Amino acid sequence: MILDVIQRSLQSPNRLVPVESLLGRADGGRMPHVDVSLLTAEMAETACRLCPTSALSLVHREEKELLCLDYGQCIGCGRCAELKAFSIAERLTCCGVSKQRLVQYFDPERATEVETELDIPKAAGREILSLMGRALNIRQLDAGSCNGCEAEITALTNPYYDLERFGIHFVASPKHADLLLVTGSVTRNMAVAVKQTYEAVPAPKLVVAVGACGCSGGIFATSPAVAGPVDKVIPVDAYIPGCPPTPAMLLTGILEVLRRPTKPGK
Amino acid sequence: MDPMPGENATTPTVVEVARLLQGPPENRARLVSLFGSIDSSLKRTMVHYILDVPGAGYRVLEDMMNGSVPSITPVSPAAAWYERELKDQYGVELFGHPDPRSLLLHENWPGNCHPMVDSTQAVPWADEHYEFLQVEGDGVCEVAVGPVHAGIIEPGHFRFSVVGDNVLFLELRHFYTHKGTERLFQGTPVSSGQMLAESVSGDNCFAHAVAYCQAIEEAHAVTAPPLAQLVRLIGLELERMVAHIADVGALSGDIAFMLPAAYCSRIKEDLLQTSVRVIGSRFWRGIAVPGGVTRDISPSAAEMLREAVMQASGEFAKMAAIMLDRPSVQSRFEAAGVLHHSVAGDLAVVGPVARASGIDADIRRDHPYGAYRGLNFEIPSLHYGDVLARTRVRIDEVACSAQLILDALTQLQAGPIRTEVPQDVAFEGFSAIESPRGELLYWVKGEAGMLTRCHIKSPSFQNWPALPHAVVGNVIADFPLINKSFNLSYSGCDR
Ligand code: SF4
Ligand code: SF4
Repeated sequence: MILDVIQRSLQSPNRLVPVESLLGRADGGRMPHVDVSLLTAEMAETACRLCPTSALSLVHREEKELLCLDYGQCIGCGRCAELKAFSIAERLTCCGVSKQRLVQYFDPERATEVETELDIPKAAGREILSLMGRALNIRQLDAGSCNGCEAEITALTNPYYDLERFGIHFVASPKHADLLLVTGSVTRNMAVAVKQTYEAVPAPKLVVAVGACGCSGGIFATSPAVAGPVDKVIPVDAYIPGCPPTPAMLLTGILEVLRRPTKPGK
Repeated sequence: MDPMPGENATTPTVVEVARLLQGPPENRARLVSLFGSIDSSLKRTMVHYILDVPGAGYRVLEDMMNGSVPSITPVSPAAAWYERELKDQYGVELFGHPDPRSLLLHENWPGNCHPMVDSTQAVPWADEHYEFLQVEGDGVCEVAVGPVHAGIIEPGHFRFSVVGDNVLFLELRHFYTHKGTERLFQGTPVSSGQMLAESVSGDNCFAHAVAYCQAIEEAHAVTAPPLAQLVRLIGLELERMVAHIADVGALSGDIAFMLPAAYCSRIKEDLLQTSVRVIGSRFWRGIAVPGGVTRDISPSAAEMLREAVMQASGEFAKMAAIMLDRPSVQSRFEAAGVLHHSVAGDLAVVGPVARASGIDADIRRDHPYGAYRGLNFEIPSLHYGDVLARTRVRIDEVACSAQLILDALTQLQAGPIRTEVPQDVAFEGFSAIESPRGELLYWVKGEAGMLTRCHIKSPSFQNWPALPHAVVGNVIADFPLINKSFNLSYSGCDR
């Protein structure tokens, strides 16, 4: 009987998705994309009213009224996508980036996307990379998530994504970890445990906040039972938005955190 | 705590509730939920009891709180956590409760803070005391596990008292992921509540969204169009398939039999990817809305889903049969973590855990809703109450869910997918569904399109207190396996 199992597994097709077709992919993640050429001031205002979090807002900058889209707060509810200038993003470039790069600005008057500052590479990332190439130990930490993010992180180990092919492992103890992958808005009841877990990770270490909750508190941002987003409790190096981020978004983000420090220029 | 003399000790409602909850098992009512609310027009705090009375269906009883509540836990242990939650949320005294320690609010919450009645946004940090129960005696030691566990799992604390390898006693300390969700619902527009519901327990997010939407519809006396109900049924059964396939794989992984684990994770991923193509979301988020659904299933999508479901259920059935046939699997699963029928009944356990302990209950059949009305289908149940029984119930349910989806797909016909929910009325109502983990109930109240209260009875909140009863007497090394066979949601419980 056990031979049956082995035989079946040998006969089943290889499901592994090549990394090139995963990087930057966001389908199924329900994140919005703005086509600024179709955006009007009125539409921007409607979108802000529809948005259940503060992911969409109007900001004044240099005497202009800009539409600000913060992917870190977006729960992918799809409401804005009903407006003409908005659609569901097929690709997303802001996984595994700094907090500033989660935010995009659009000028409805001039139909332009306003540039945001670039990332400052993280010293710890460079150090980890130079120490061990791309082999990386991740400790996942649930700081108060709804378990949606966990479900997608677990999927990273399935035969489609197989994170281990990059030399990346999930480890059981923070003491074995290089990177803490933190999900959820940090609840009051978890705050102490989150700090202790962070302290138990040996330096150099990286922290990546995952999901709308981890990035901004998401839909729980205003709850008195929540201490805040991850960066309110421990230092965070990079962010992966989404509610929950799809495995492709997570993988893009994790690889981006490792890749970024090697970019020319810094 | 001694019951106080006088009118506080009991009330006619509590006498009636206690009467219904007692008696021979086949005649007594089941405690479904117990929660508080504030009646702002009358400036009163109310306590609500929802019971499932044999032959009479759900029954709601209400009482005034008046600063104190006579405990019904001595007659119905299933009420223990509900009453402790009530005390934390509303600051009422419990009379006669055997264990009135705080539940949701850990040491960092000031003792005088009660989130459902205090409007304060900035709660000061405190350092209160929490006393674990202690087992004394020769050779007894304590093993503390969590809240942070080894693995990609949610946080919770387990404190074992063991002699050698044998567990004498297990105390759960949960609510680490308590996010104040019920408080957040207060003041949320009816039209956005499903988004919060989707974030109560992410792996069952569609069940939560549908339960919320049905409660809103019930409270406004509207019904979703038949097509919307069918789409919901398909989503709910698909979610059940995904959940059970993942659970069976994880159970296999827990005893280091990795092949079925990898297979199940692959089959699960197939279904999630199909969901993206069929409905645009891996977990069906953003689909259920009050009054209906946001998306239809096109004929070509229906065909795609039909093929994916047939393939998944076929492959899973073969893999599950191979798995259960292995002596190594049988020796670990059989007789491990037995939850006795009588304990399951006393604690009003629900879902697959109940059905594996000889309680033949399923909301889809017992209190049919939406497109389940008028359906006739098989509900697997077993009476051994061990890890094997819980595994087999899930395996059989996957086949049953697949059949329900295939049948529903043939009935899809063009039509409206959404009805209007009236805006300017006061509303109150509830609805229960059978989520993958069991009975899930939303009770909503509000006016003019705004919620003033939303209570969530989650199956995990109900079932967690039963876990220690299944663990005691086993070796501690079997705990992960027994825990997995319950597969309860921490976030769904803690909310
Ligand atoms: S999809 Fe995101 S940005 Fe759009 S309305 Fe919803 S939360 Fe706001
Ligand atoms: S980001 Fe979304 S999926 Fe992730 S924990 Fe928060 S609510 Fe759940």
